[in-house]
Amino acid sequence: MDSASSGIQEPFDLIRLSLSERVFVKLRGDRELSGVLHAYDGHMNLILSDVEETIVIVDHAEGAPEGQGTVNIAKRKMEMLFVRGDGVILVSPPSRT
Amino acid sequence: MHPHSQSPRFHQQQQQHQIHLIHLQQQQQQQRQLLELQEQRERQQQQQLLQLQEQLRLEELERQRQIRLQQQQQQQQQQQQLQTASPSAGHLHGQLLHHQRHVSGGLSPALSDRTSRHLGRQSPAADAPFGQNMTYLPQDIQMQQRLLAEMAQAEFINSMQTGTPQAERDAREEREMQEILRAEAMKKIMEAERMEEKRRRKHAKIAHMSRYNDLMTQSDKDFITRIQVSQLVTPDPYADDFYAQVYGAILRSRLGVQTQDDRVLKFGSGGGVGLGLGQKGPGRRQSAMQRMEAQVERIVNNARMREKEKISLNNLQGALGKTSGRSYKAAPRQLLQVDSGSSPTPSPVPAHGHISKADAIHHEATGAAKEAAKIGRETLGSAAHTHEHDRQDPLTHRESLVILERLYDLVLDLEQMRRDQPPPEEEEDFLAWEVEYEAHVQRLWLGLRVTAPLETSVPHPFISLLMPIKGKRLLPRAARYLDDHQTLVTLTLLVACFSQADVIVKAHVLDTLKESEEYHEVDAQTQAFMQSIIQSILPVVAKAELRIVSGLLGLLFERNHVAGVACTKPGLALLTLFISRVEVIKQNMATATEVSELPPPEDTDQWQSVFDNLFNFLAHDFLHLFPSVRISRTLGIPHSNVPNADVIDHPVWQYLATMALHASAEQQQILVTSLRELVLENVTSVNKGWVADEEERRSRLANVNIFLHALGLDSSQIAV
Repeated sequence: MDSASSGIQEPFDLIRLSLSERVFVKLRGDRELSGVLHAYDGHMNLILSDVEETIVIVDHAEGAPEGQGTVNIAKRKMEMLFVRGDGVILVSPPSRT
Repeated sequence: MHPHSQSPRFHQQQQQHQIHLIHLQQQQQQQRQLLELQEQRERQQQQQLLQLQEQLRLEELERQRQIRLQQQQQQQQQQQQLQTASPSAGHLHGQLLHHQRHVSGGLSPALSDRTSRHLGRQSPAADAPFGQNMTYLPQDIQMQQRLLAEMAQAEFINSMQTGTPQAERDAREEREMQEILRAEAMKKIMEAERMEEKRRRKHAKIAHMSRYNDLMTQSDKDFITRIQVSQLVTPDPYADDFYAQVYGAILRSRLGVQTQDDRVLKFGSGGGVGLGLGQKGPGRRQSAMQRMEAQVERIVNNARMREKEKISLNNLQGALGKTSGRSYKAAPRQLLQVDSGSSPTPSPVPAHGHISKADAIHHEATGAAKEAAKIGRETLGSAAHTHEHDRQDPLTHRESLVILERLYDLVLDLEQMRRDQPPPEEEEDFLAWEVEYEAHVQRLWLGLRVTAPLETSVPHPFISLLMPIKGKRLLPRAARYLDDHQTLVTLTLLVACFSQADVIVKAHVLDTLKESEEYHEVDAQTQAFMQSIIQSILPVVAKAELRIVSGLLGLLFERNHVAGVACTKPGLALLTLFISRVEVIKQNMATATEVSELPPPEDTDQWQSVFDNLFNFLAHDFLHLFPSVRISRTLGIPHSNVPNADVIDHPVWQYLATMALHASAEQQQILVTSLRELVLENVTSVNKGWVADEEERRSRLANVNIFLHALGLDSSQIAV
């Protein structure tokens, strides 16, 4: 992508393009969010609406070696959400199939 | 020398602390008194009850005695009457009255004695804070007792004046009366007690809340308020408080313009404090606001004075170096002195600058001649030109987002400029403002890519811009700044490339009943599209002439598959809009007085031919226009099982009604035959009560009626 012609000069401009669009956010703690991005700031605090959060829970059985354990996924939906910036790992458009 | 103890505030605090302690002691004493008083009052009430009962018993005894006396008297009276003439009866009557008065007199002093004793006992309580409540009680009881006495007296008089045979009945009545009176008295006492309770609780609560009153002086409170308000003062109150101001403006315009237009406290040329939404409490609030204003004025002026002093000091001490004047400012000095223009500070404001700056440098590479040719081509009635157009790839999603962000910046700037418009009196500023305004509008116009030739790409760049939902939302806001001609060109382009729009392409998804992600997405996009398109083109279409409307319809026909377009919500809305506009024109024609107002016959002919074309094209399958029919056909379920059929079919019925209005007799015949089954089905289902819900019944009937009325018929004419 030619940044000069497209006018994108810094990474936050890319996030800016996704305003009002659905984004996929990866958070610390094995969590992922999918929601419509309404606002962001320098700390990467985000305001999302119509959000679905996916939490991956890995249960290790006692005494079993690492790598063995049941993986559970918990989902929940929220209408409006404020995400604190320091937990955000990445922000991307939703995966296009 | 302990500086702390030297402060006058500290001394004041000490004094107040002592005062507070004294208050506390007093309150404790009062509480103790209250408790005692409560106990007393309870005892008194019990006593009063007992006394009331005593009185009633006494009165009964009295009455019985009276009855006996009366009987004796009557016997005497009768005897005397037999012997003497009327004057003696009058004399006796007077005796009787006197006796009565004596009797009542005998009663009432007794009563009044008791009440005065009550009062006497309760008067020391008047000092307590609940004094007023206490006096209410004895007064009330006094009244009741007086009432009781009066009732008893009335009873006596009655019983004495009437004969003895009624005495027993009267006695019974009296007893009942007394029962009632007693009950009422009890009720009144209970009520009084309850009111007491409430008042006690309220006062206790107030006392609890005001435990810590008067810790700070008014000047202390003002000092802190001044600090807080000074944090709110900004040089640009509108921009810093943007959302609240705009939200408040919207609310106020919806309610009707009630209060001032400026919800900002201004302080000369220094700064201001945004007020945002309406504040409640007109009375008290106003004085608080005035005080705040005065304080902020003082702060701002002080700050300015200090600035001036600082400058003068610096000048004086220029030879020795600058004095450091920032020691008292709250924030620490920034380590990096960055220039906000080219800084890497991660805030949206420079980002805005980046995208828009690129836009200012990078122009659309279209020559003026090419533009004119394109506009010429896109306006109506022109034959297809073959120019050399650079065929490009359609805008990628990323590119359209970039362009949209630039356009949003332009629209925001334009909106801000509108707000800052200098008054026409200041010529220079106004002219400069106008120049800038026009430049922005021009950039907006170019940025919308409406002027790009039709063959540039499929979909057309403008259509690609409308694909993300924020593009759809941008259109009405941007269209506000375009003039009529530009809006018309936009509309023409939209019509020409209508079937390229994403909502049209994906409209088939809505014809399934599946509740998938895609369904919701397409539904949301369609809603947004309809809202924005209708909003932006409505003003133009509402004023359009017949020639233009028929030209637009013809263009739609030419370049799009009309049957497919008509099966979509936005397409149907567009068609309905056009045809109803023609209807209005025709009505105006009928009422037009001057010949010049009438459209020329060529136009009407053109319209007729376009309409006929449209009709014939759709006549293949009118039923397919109905979403409910489409759903039932694709899913293979019977039509009656389609949920919400009336709601989704409503726009179709409206469209068919508008068609019917313009249809000739044969066309109407065709319409009726093809829709006959559906109409019958709806009417029978309503009349035979197959439809459970009242709402559904009404809407179904309304739908059918919309269509039938256009034909001059009514559903009631259909015999089932």
